[in-house]
Amino acid sequence: MFLARIDGTLTATVKHATLASCRFLIGQRLEADGCTSGEPLVLLDRLGARHGSTVVVSTDGDIAREWLGNTTPGRMIVVGLVDAVTPALGSGAQR
Amino acid sequence: MRIGIVRGHVVLGAAVPSLSGTRLLLVEPINAENLAADNGAGGGKCLIVADHLAPHVGQRIAFVEGREAANPYWPERVPVDAYCALIVERADFRPPQSQSSPSPREAQR
Repeated sequence: MFLARIDGTLTATVKHATLASCRFLIGQRLEADGCTSGEPLVLLDRLGARHGSTVVVSTDGDIAREWLGNTTPGRMIVVGLVDAVTPALGSGAQR
Repeated sequence: MRIGIVRGHVVLGAAVPSLSGTRLLLVEPINAENLAADNGAGGGKCLIVADHLAPHVGQRIAFVEGREAANPYWPERVPVDAYCALIVERADFRPPQSQSSPSPREAQR
């Protein structure tokens, strides 16, 4: 699992059948220094994360299969909305 | 899932039996800078993505990687580790200007 910031949304008409009812968000992984890393990620969300939200993302496909069936390619799921991280990301106190 | 641009298709002459008939895309992942600019550029390292959706060259897709990429073939076992899950119709990506840069650690890679 890792932290991500929601920076956008994505729409798709043509998609795998198991993803028909999914809400897609675009997030960026967050590091301890508060900066983003890696390429933008498409996340599946059922919790109602908003633009700018910090979320916890799980890359385990088990919850996706539970929701969407055994043949789903879904993998990165928003499993939590973050209220606070202490010490704050980028405060330099993580080490 | 990451987002990528379809740059081409791969045709195999010989393949392991479980992979025969699988459509393969050549995909260039899109980094944050290019996604925000919506400039048609990618910026990531190309990879091969298995596909059932038939996107055209130049279209943007989202692809899943890892063990879950083979789920659509269940219960068959296929040596697929990247799979095209959707064709992007619209990506509204607006990172905050002051925080859109990668971390120094990422920039060194």
